Amino acid sequence: MSNTPLLKINNLTVTYPLNSEGSDVLKALDNTSLKVNSGQIIGIVGESGAGKSTIGKAILGLLDPPAKLVSGEIRFLGNSLVSLSEAQFESLRGNQIGYIYQNPMTALNPVLTIGEQVTEAIEANTNMRGKNAREYAIQLLERADVSFAEDRLQKYPHQLSGGLCQRIVFAIAIAAKPKLIIADEPTTALDVTVQSSVLQTLIKLSQEEDIAIILITHDIGVVSETCDYVYVLRNGKHIEQGETVQVLEKPMQEYTRSLMASVPLIEKRLHRFAINEEDNLEDISTGLRYLQEKQSTQDSTHEPLLEVRNISKIFITPSSLFKAKQLFTAVKDVSFTVQRGETVGIVGESGSGKSTIGRMILGLEDITEGNVIYRGKDLKLITDSTERRAHCLSMQCIFQDPYSSLNPRMSAGENITYGLKIHKLIDKNNAKSLAQDLMSLVGLKREDADKLPHAFSGGERQRIGIARALGYRPDFIFCDEPTSALDVSVQANLLNLLKDLQEQFSLTLLFVSHDLAVIRQMCDRVIVMKDGEALENGSNENIFEQPKHAYTRSLLDAMPKFQGLAQN
Amino acid sequence: MIDYKKKLTTLSLQIKSIFSGHPIAIAGLIGFVMFVLTALLAPWIAPQNPYDLMVLDIMDGLLPPLSKLGNGTTSWLGTDAVGRDILSAVMYGLRLSLFVAFIATTVGSIIGVFLGLLAAVKGGWVESVIMRAVDLKVSFPGILLALMMLAIFGTGVDKIIYALIIGVWASKARLTRSSALSEMQKEYIDAARISAIPNWRIMLKFLLPNSIAPVLVMIPMSLSGCIGAEATLSFLGVGVPITEPSLGLLIANGNDYLLSGKWWISIFPGVVLVSLVLCINVVADRIREHNNPFLKSMNMQ
Repeated sequence: MSNTPLLKINNLTVTYPLNSEGSDVLKALDNTSLKVNSGQIIGIVGESGAGKSTIGKAILGLLDPPAKLVSGEIRFLGNSLVSLSEAQFESLRGNQIGYIYQNPMTALNPVLTIGEQVTEAIEANTNMRGKNAREYAIQLLERADVSFAEDRLQKYPHQLSGGLCQRIVFAIAIAAKPKLIIADEPTTALDVTVQSSVLQTLIKLSQEEDIAIILITHDIGVVSETCDYVYVLRNGKHIEQGETVQVLEKPMQEYTRSLMASVPLIEKRLHRFAINEEDNLEDISTGLRYLQEKQSTQDSTHEPLLEVRNISKIFITPSSLFKAKQLFTAVKDVSFTVQRGETVGIVGESGSGKSTIGRMILGLEDITEGNVIYRGKDLKLITDSTERRAHCLSMQCIFQDPYSSLNPRMSAGENITYGLKIHKLIDKNNAKSLAQDLMSLVGLKREDADKLPHAFSGGERQRIGIARALGYRPDFIFCDEPTSALDVSVQANLLNLLKDLQEQFSLTLLFVSHDLAVIRQMCDRVIVMKDGEALENGSNENIFEQPKHAYTRSLLDAMPKFQGLAQN
Repeated sequence: MIDYKKKLTTLSLQIKSIFSGHPIAIAGLIGFVMFVLTALLAPWIAPQNPYDLMVLDIMDGLLPPLSKLGNGTTSWLGTDAVGRDILSAVMYGLRLSLFVAFIATTVGSIIGVFLGLLAAVKGGWVESVIMRAVDLKVSFPGILLALMMLAIFGTGVDKIIYALIIGVWASKARLTRSSALSEMQKEYIDAARISAIPNWRIMLKFLLPNSIAPVLVMIPMSLSGCIGAEATLSFLGVGVPITEPSLGLLIANGNDYLLSGKWWISIFPGVVLVSLVLCINVVADRIREHNNPFLKSMNMQ
């Protein structure tokens, strides 16, 4: 091997115009340099807006129009890529540099079979045709660890799982024996058990075929399991680079250190995330008084606050002219209790029915079978409308998607207090000051109460959602993956906030997540779910340190291992 | 409470952002505003009151454009068989046509939006009944339905407004329902439900403001559609009464004289009708384009 690196990027700057004259620009990449040797797996990590994906697109000349490569140099095998024509890029893409997208379901063409798509890639990049191409396609699929490769050729993408589709995308990417593959969040759309085996395949391919891989990801765990060398980006600026172990465990820069401290750990439970937080100095005493004068509900602390007895949920697609009635069991005979002040976690992969349980408790879905007893009463048996309303309002929810959980046509303050005003829980004249107090309590600025939701970032919107839930002075809050759409540092802040609020207002939380590490940090007790069934129910320590069920063990094994910052 | 001045500035900014750089759309907007002003001010700016039989003189009948009338004034666009000044008749006709179309579009849209929201929120048999009614309405040619209506109920300004409302509501109901259904999937609706906010408030404060945009974009189209439909019905003689001629009826009045060279009686109302509909359509197209980001990005390239 010569010393010329496979790919070298020098002082690359990419800008997006912010106004039509182009006088004001956003630097998506600011003077970034990077080097990839052949066969090496390098990671590019950073939070949203860091410019990770822009690097990948810039290499392949795929920058979307208003974006402009202003200065810098990209050399692949010693040749400059910056000034290539579209035709020259086309012979490069797929042939020498492969690209793997985040969502395999959309990367594959839904109306062509797997076989057609793989052979198409082979015929485009090699001189194999017909039967040879088909045999090579089977070989490629086998190399990408696709089982029953020959049968799969006949299948369409929708007939296969996300993990299998991503392997097929790998197979297509290696068809032309590229020297480099750019993988942009290749496992983000996959469940954790699938993620780990897909990453294994990626590492194997890199070693066996001597392919260098640029792995773009926000997931520190994935980087720590996969990459040899890692670059940390923030707002387009290069922050730190080095051997993976070095950067992740003994970072030199302040930003990297706080990023690593934000990553929830699976190994041990911390009281809070050790991140810098600003203290809240504003006077919110009226808001606090409002929140604390909760009508003292019959405080019989012995009975559980919430008891879920053998609930099941069956979704029925009614029969129509062309189709028979279809049943789908989302939740099967699940029982658990939640004590006052406790945080119970439900963890499971997508489709395990974890959110459906919460929706049934809140009354958003009908319960097919079983009972939910909350504060000693079953909602179905309460006839008095006032009592019914109080019962419902004391259960609140924090939703998953910050971008759709607020009414976009109401100001933040109005979103928080609208329901309170409707139910006459507060005086109309106090609504605004209460909204401001609540916003201040969850770490937002008082004066932002008049802004519409689109003026806030995802993390801030989630805080507005929390403020809205708190306004009803709830006993119980169902948290439905409240941080899954957020960056890890924002997540850490938000989880700390939830812990603080829980202590301050003695809240009871039911916390649903697909992320074991988040559950590990947040919950006192954990329920593991798969395909609608509760497999295991135990204390945090028991589940994470002595899992009994084989599925729990496989989930834990599949979690990318990240030890956290080295103790010094 | 509400800051009207601020609202007005944002509105004018919005109008500016929609129309700036699109001269044809600006021309359409100016044309439309001129037509509306003419219609509103007709009693004050028209040379004569065409409804007032006292000022009509049969001796002035069928004069070509630019003729002198018996009372010494000039008739710019000529007169019809009973000596009515065409310019004045067109102004008053415009007034009636716009009035009928405006009322029908507004009432029809409100009914349609309300039924669409109701279908989306209630579901079940309410939704089935509303949506099948929409299907039934849409499967008839609009003009045929209106003709049937007018044949049964008789003619008159109020009757033609009812007939046009029936033409307008269905497409609005369908559009509102589909956009409300996609809004209902969003979590802020769940949040409102958890907070026991009554259904009608969810409809008005949550669904309505968030699903109305596509309907608003369609309203100018409906307006021009109503103007055309009203003209058609009046031309066929089942629309407005003969004593209050709209543009369509004016065209019909001149129809008999077209072949005998008295072209101005039909042509001038016709030109006004065509330009009015054209102006509205140009503006409507621009608004639709502005609201569809996909079309916008195609224009940028």
